Amino acid sequence: MMNLKLKRREFLQLMGWGTAGATLAGCDLPTTVTLEEGKEEVVAYHSPEEYAIPGIGVWYASTCMQCAAGCGIHGRVREGRVLKLEGNPDSPVNRGKLCQMGQAGVQGHYNPDRYSAPKLRQGDALVDIGWDEAWKLIEEKTGTQAHLDAGSLAWVTGTLSGHQAALMAAHLSAMNGKHYGCEVITPAVWEAVNKDLFGEAMPRLQLSKARLVLSFGADFLGTWLSPVHFSTEYAQFRKAPRGILIQVEPAMSLTGANADLWLAIRPGAEGALALGLAYVLAQNGAAVPEALQGVIGDYAPSRVAEITGVSETRIMQLAELLRQHAPSLVLPGYTAQGQTQGYETTAAIMLLNVMLGNVGQTLISAGEFPFPQLAAKSGNTRDLLAFADAAHNKAHEVVFFYGVNPVFTAPAALNLADRLKNIPFKVAFTPFPDETAVLCDLILPVASYLEDWGTHAPAYQPEGVIGLQQPLMETLYPGTPGLGDALLRLLKMGDAAKYGAWNDYYGYLKQAVASLPAQYRGAGQSDEAFWQSVLQKGQLKVDVKGGALQAKSLGGLHFSAPATGGDYPFTLIPSPRLSFWDGRHANLPWIQEAPDQITKVVWDSWAEIHPVTAAKLGVEEGDVLEIASEQGAIKVKVFVHKGVHPHAVAVPMGQGHEEYGRYARNRGANPLRILNPVTDARTGELALYGTRVKAVPAGEHRMLVKAGRDNISQRGRKLVATISAEQFRRTEG
Amino acid sequence: MQLTRWARAGRYGWPALLAAWCMAGVLSTASASEPMSVQYPVAPQGSHKGLDVPQPIDFPHDIHTRDNKINCLYCHSYGRQSNVAGIPPTSKCMGCHSVIATDKPRIRQLTEFWEKKQPIPWLKVHDVPDFVHFTHEKHLKRFIFDNPEVMNNLSVDTVAPVCALCHGDMRAKTVAKKDKPLTMGWCVSCHEKNGGPGDCWACHK
Repeated sequence: MMNLKLKRREFLQLMGWGTAGATLAGCDLPTTVTLEEGKEEVVAYHSPEEYAIPGIGVWYASTCMQCAAGCGIHGRVREGRVLKLEGNPDSPVNRGKLCQMGQAGVQGHYNPDRYSAPKLRQGDALVDIGWDEAWKLIEEKTGTQAHLDAGSLAWVTGTLSGHQAALMAAHLSAMNGKHYGCEVITPAVWEAVNKDLFGEAMPRLQLSKARLVLSFGADFLGTWLSPVHFSTEYAQFRKAPRGILIQVEPAMSLTGANADLWLAIRPGAEGALALGLAYVLAQNGAAVPEALQGVIGDYAPSRVAEITGVSETRIMQLAELLRQHAPSLVLPGYTAQGQTQGYETTAAIMLLNVMLGNVGQTLISAGEFPFPQLAAKSGNTRDLLAFADAAHNKAHEVVFFYGVNPVFTAPAALNLADRLKNIPFKVAFTPFPDETAVLCDLILPVASYLEDWGTHAPAYQPEGVIGLQQPLMETLYPGTPGLGDALLRLLKMGDAAKYGAWNDYYGYLKQAVASLPAQYRGAGQSDEAFWQSVLQKGQLKVDVKGGALQAKSLGGLHFSAPATGGDYPFTLIPSPRLSFWDGRHANLPWIQEAPDQITKVVWDSWAEIHPVTAAKLGVEEGDVLEIASEQGAIKVKVFVHKGVHPHAVAVPMGQGHEEYGRYARNRGANPLRILNPVTDARTGELALYGTRVKAVPAGEHRMLVKAGRDNISQRGRKLVATISAEQFRRTEG
Repeated sequence: MQLTRWARAGRYGWPALLAAWCMAGVLSTASASEPMSVQYPVAPQGSHKGLDVPQPIDFPHDIHTRDNKINCLYCHSYGRQSNVAGIPPTSKCMGCHSVIATDKPRIRQLTEFWEKKQPIPWLKVHDVPDFVHFTHEKHLKRFIFDNPEVMNNLSVDTVAPVCALCHGDMRAKTVAKKDKPLTMGWCVSCHEKNGGPGDCWACHK
């Protein structure tokens, strides 16, 4: 074990618990596939495990990393290869289900565009170098003899949690470095509001207990927080007595498509609608929270109808429904949060929960996660902006990138590609040739998430859980380290004595699990038996200390009406999708091939516009629009449908890659490029849904390829039985 | 069942060696004393002039099966449970060859692979396309394990003719050579003669 003399507390700190597979032989790379005799190898095992039978799969538990929700997965492994992923039924996050991004994970792992060896920049070219050389170079640049100043090393990552986060924190503290967690699909504003309002960033949502859900663009079935978890909650919510789902958003999401009542709202007017509802509820006797007291007087339904485009009768109806169906749940989505007054808008929406008495009913405390070192550090856009500034100010000598592609996700206005030139030594720890990696000086291909060890504590905790990630097969490319292995190696460069006890991250993690307090294991269970049981289940349940969720008073909130008209008459909605996500899954052909949930488009980008807008612009489906903001323009094909507000143009996020391999490159357009770099004043988060644009026909027409053309019209064949909206409202409330 | 025990004994070195000796002895006496009265399925028509495939080790199927009477399923034991019969793991070879014929050149080659912990890169001889779902398990069940005629006279000489339907008589070969077409028409002719399933989905699923 360890020869170090550490106090127990230091030891636990080191192992990440500070308070607050099997090796498979016979695994060849695919070479040729032929029926000809003597052309293909059929390699037998050297000495197989007892249970390994060629042709029969064995399922292993691990954790999905396709988004930050941390779903448990089971992977089928046959002849040393992972072939299929499914949800882990034991996981409280996804309860045996898995979304299409999770299912497509094997295509990231087997992606033909993965880097197989380290690459070093020589002039404009990236040339292959050996692993020893690569690590030596890193040691030269960051080791003790490099004499880096405090703050001159930085890690840029996405959302991180678990023991990798603990090791990264250790590395940053050893190097006196800075961490930027960058994500554009982020609940950061909501977390900030929750922290101020409830004292905790991510309270637990009891969707299944709500009788009515009013969602301001919260796409909880698609892209919001933990979509697979909420899908199972949603199924409960819809069981008798059937809960009512009302979705208010500028462009229809997957959740919106499932709603009983879908309302288009003028982009940026979500806060006004929330205040209008608060006004009506107050008139009916609900206590008005302090923060809204001086505000709602200006938001009588008639004025709110003008601002939002939602009619006065509809506002009255919504308020009445909310009053009649307690407990309800009111949720703010990304479109409500990503405004220049995102904090105020989100606060107004969350305060409706306070007025409706939902706090403690459908909105409860998630409890205190017992291991703060392992808790998720949600990425956000404030860090993205801060990193762009730091690059501009030449604040860093060495920057490490992992699980993040800021050159793609940052608005062009930040000029990140140019600013990266100010950083003398940039290292990308990535399997893929993405836009950021190709600008780096050294590329260290890391293991795919199906080849790596790790623990993951999802930010949204349905119950206290840490997911365990284990390799489902050996690395495809020898030498590729996992993130944990890379971090251990970096830490050893600084303090060989402290971290030398572990040969690899597997050893570290195994000891970390063994050092958990006794209450986590069965009586008399040995270290090895406990470790095996954790591997088998793919997760660790942790005790969270729960208290009652209580609303505190917020300071006064100030609102202004959203902008309208002008040179830029529309608002751009870069809508997230449960497919490309922020663009990280655009290199998976299954994801490209899967029809979009709303438009059924494949392998492309599109701009959703309302029929009224289309008529005004004189365009129809397939016509190319030039969508221009103050920061630039993109060209996208038009998709006309009614599920978008006439003042909005919605373009899905994630396409428009210039790099990132054969499946992603030069396909569609990236709406994030043309965003104005405006922020929410209170949180400093990028106002992702606050960019005004104009749309001009580019005079071209190209077919928009969809699965099942004309799928919106049934041509009178009654393939799906329908009833009139009027009749529906009478029966479904 | 006896066969199961033999198959499982494989990875345990010495017991495997004993099992192999016993099996060879017992079975050869059995087959010598009892006349063969086994009903085999009607073989499909057609043949294939296979290429000579040079393997990393010139494995003699004939010495193992014809001379030493080792049952096909002793080495290709996965066929009972799986789609594939499987190439035996090197550990199974070494179960016997850590003591038998250790001075022979081919065994020296084998031992070298074993000691270097390298899997042996055998070349594939028999294959069907990926859109064909062929399973050894179903065929062996039908023609061996559910066939009392074979099970009552279980030996390499009753089992090998079943394998020979698709692989040719391995008792007469050194390394494998493709003797049968393994084409769809050829498969179907056998299914028709012996009452195998005739629907497309049985194989193309």
